[in-house]
Amino acid sequence: MAIKKQKELDIEEKSPENRILSFPDEVLERVLVFVKTHKDRSAVSLVCRDWYNAERWSRTHVFIGNCYSVSPEMVARRFPNIRSVTLKGKPRFSDFNLVPPNWGSDIHPWLVVFASAYPFLEELRLKRMTVTDESLDFLARSFPEFKALSLVSCDGFSTDGLASITTYCRNLTELDIQESGIEDLGGSWLNFPESFTSLEALNFANLHSEVNFDALERLVARCKSLKVLKVNKHVMLEQLRRLLVRAPQLTELGTGPFSQDHKLRSHIDLESAFSNCKNLNTLSGLWEVSSMYLPALFPACTNLTFLNLSYTALQSAELAKLLQKCPLLRRLWVLDTVEDKGLEAVASSCHLLQELRVFPADPFEQEVIMEGGGNGVTESGFVAVSEGCPNLHYVLYFCHQMTNAAVATVVRNCPNFTHFRLCIMDMRRPDYLTNEPMDEAFGAVVKTCSKLRRLAVSGLLTDRAFEYIGTYAKNLETLSVAFAGSSDRGMQCVLEGCPKLRKLEIRDCPFGNAALLSGLERYESMRSLWMSACNLTMNGCQLLARKMPRLNVEVIKEDESDDMHAEKVYVYRSVAGPRRDAPPFVLTL
Amino acid sequence: MGEQGNSPTSIEDSGHACGSTASLSQSSTEDLRTELKLGLSLSIPSQTSSSSSREQHSDWPPTKPLVRSTLDERRIPPHPASFFVKVHMEGIPVGRKLDLFALDGYDSLIRTLRCMFRTNISCPGLAQVSSRKTYLVIYEDMEGDWMMAGDVPWELFLNTVKRLKIAKADKC
Repeated sequence: MAIKKQKELDIEEKSPENRILSFPDEVLERVLVFVKTHKDRSAVSLVCRDWYNAERWSRTHVFIGNCYSVSPEMVARRFPNIRSVTLKGKPRFSDFNLVPPNWGSDIHPWLVVFASAYPFLEELRLKRMTVTDESLDFLARSFPEFKALSLVSCDGFSTDGLASITTYCRNLTELDIQESGIEDLGGSWLNFPESFTSLEALNFANLHSEVNFDALERLVARCKSLKVLKVNKHVMLEQLRRLLVRAPQLTELGTGPFSQDHKLRSHIDLESAFSNCKNLNTLSGLWEVSSMYLPALFPACTNLTFLNLSYTALQSAELAKLLQKCPLLRRLWVLDTVEDKGLEAVASSCHLLQELRVFPADPFEQEVIMEGGGNGVTESGFVAVSEGCPNLHYVLYFCHQMTNAAVATVVRNCPNFTHFRLCIMDMRRPDYLTNEPMDEAFGAVVKTCSKLRRLAVSGLLTDRAFEYIGTYAKNLETLSVAFAGSSDRGMQCVLEGCPKLRKLEIRDCPFGNAALLSGLERYESMRSLWMSACNLTMNGCQLLARKMPRLNVEVIKEDESDDMHAEKVYVYRSVAGPRRDAPPFVLTL
Repeated sequence: MGEQGNSPTSIEDSGHACGSTASLSQSSTEDLRTELKLGLSLSIPSQTSSSSSREQHSDWPPTKPLVRSTLDERRIPPHPASFFVKVHMEGIPVGRKLDLFALDGYDSLIRTLRCMFRTNISCPGLAQVSSRKTYLVIYEDMEGDWMMAGDVPWELFLNTVKRLKIAKADKC
């Protein structure tokens, strides 16, 4: 979002007509309506002053990847006609408890500015922001045209806040609170007025308390445009059946538990409800699946492109049966309870698969009481999938063991990876067959997958792995590193070698001040850098802050024991200057 | 505040590449502290250090807390076991099965049976004129006798019941 110098096209001087200069702004704005992505729009705004102005007047959606990179006032000044805002807050590692609570990214100051600058705001999509009930209430009352609210991995609000939204937002089409940490004060928040019919998407899958089912059923019955419905684990099968009967037009469904419900008369009724849902392309939920009910799903699986089983402890045989009914599957998320055998079933049934995510059912290896808790998945499952699914371009794979050879085979079979996230859960684990570091594995990935944009590495890694990344990963935009590397050189290679790097997040690596400072030239072209439990000192960070005044260099200091060590460092570019709302444990240098 | 610094030693005070001379300032102490904290060996990286560490971390492996807590909930089974008994309704050849451990008392039993068989079952203990239309719940106990449900406390009932029957009231 940094405002760069205006440049003029050489072409304008050479063109005989020079008509481009006198192109009326209104016409240009009409044309620019068709330019949609924020990257394209940024490019347009850099052409010349006229285009910059035309672009800013015609932009209706603004994407802000780091809420502290710019102030709400600056956004309002530049873009007068915004209808839709996407904002991201905390660093991604906050998902794993690495950022202390009350760190910041409060939406409220933004809402206050938007209330006066954009009274006709329609959409707000937030990720990792703090949202209070007061803010939700303010939102609901300040924007009469408000349509879509999406809160992903947000926190700070309760069901009372949701009640404000459902009560006051007359034109709401979307309410999505997935993965947000909500204080559950009970289920009466779902109180849309009886006259309200505009809802198209509702996702309350991770809410803990029961909602008023009668209210939900009536809502679903009267909202004929409802396409997305994801309920929580209190909605049992019979209730689900009733909802499906009222909403056969659904395209995305998140179920509750798929296990015995006394109120359900028979499987046939459930199956018939599912067979009426001919437009379903996404299925999720399926908490606690009982295999006798699973076949009821089958009629709805024909057109499924996305199956999210990440809350379902499924065994390989059950998965195999289910997958045979999903020939068009493009994205699959599973738990590692399916084991390698389950992944072999994926390989044989899902030839169109593009994305696979395998999550650990038992990440901390506590005693597994769940049925069939085994060893999760290994390298052979990974190889099997790569053999059967040549279109694979996105993988997230949690495992306990891996080999360099297996990874090399995987990328040979699937050279089109754009996102490769391998998490060997045992810290610093080498290739379990050869006992060598996993350097060659990631070397193979970056050498073979020229389109790679996102990479997460794990296992025992030396600087060599990072040399490979710096040499070959020329399209890399996001890199996540944990418990890896041998010296500053590792990080230096990446900073010097990856021109498109935007986000770098590092934890528990032996990178120090020299590495940090080697990236001086890079950080202004990146969104952010996170380094925790590395070898950074306050001196090093202060030096960086002094040399690069347009960067915010923040150190999170949680305990007073070691004054010189910089335990958690967050560096990001900003045109808004240092944060004015930083809590006491965030030091801006 | 310690060393301010533009001097080379302080920039490299994180230095710990193999063979670098450790500077004898505050920085080498903190290197040691950091090293101990990270549990890393400063020299050859190919040593298999803590490769199978099963340390408990709330921040590793990187799975989201929501997913973790959902799976944790499942790890502790809500009921210690299940106790399925057969239930037959008079006049209907095919019976059902019911998990008694999923219920918390006779009320819950009657409600569930009413739902399952969609018929009017009268509550135990209610003085009702037996008619052709109402049903009662009876059970076979460990001794093989058929008894009216509801006389003994629920826990005792659970210990002695073998199977259930829904019988016409006027026949009991």
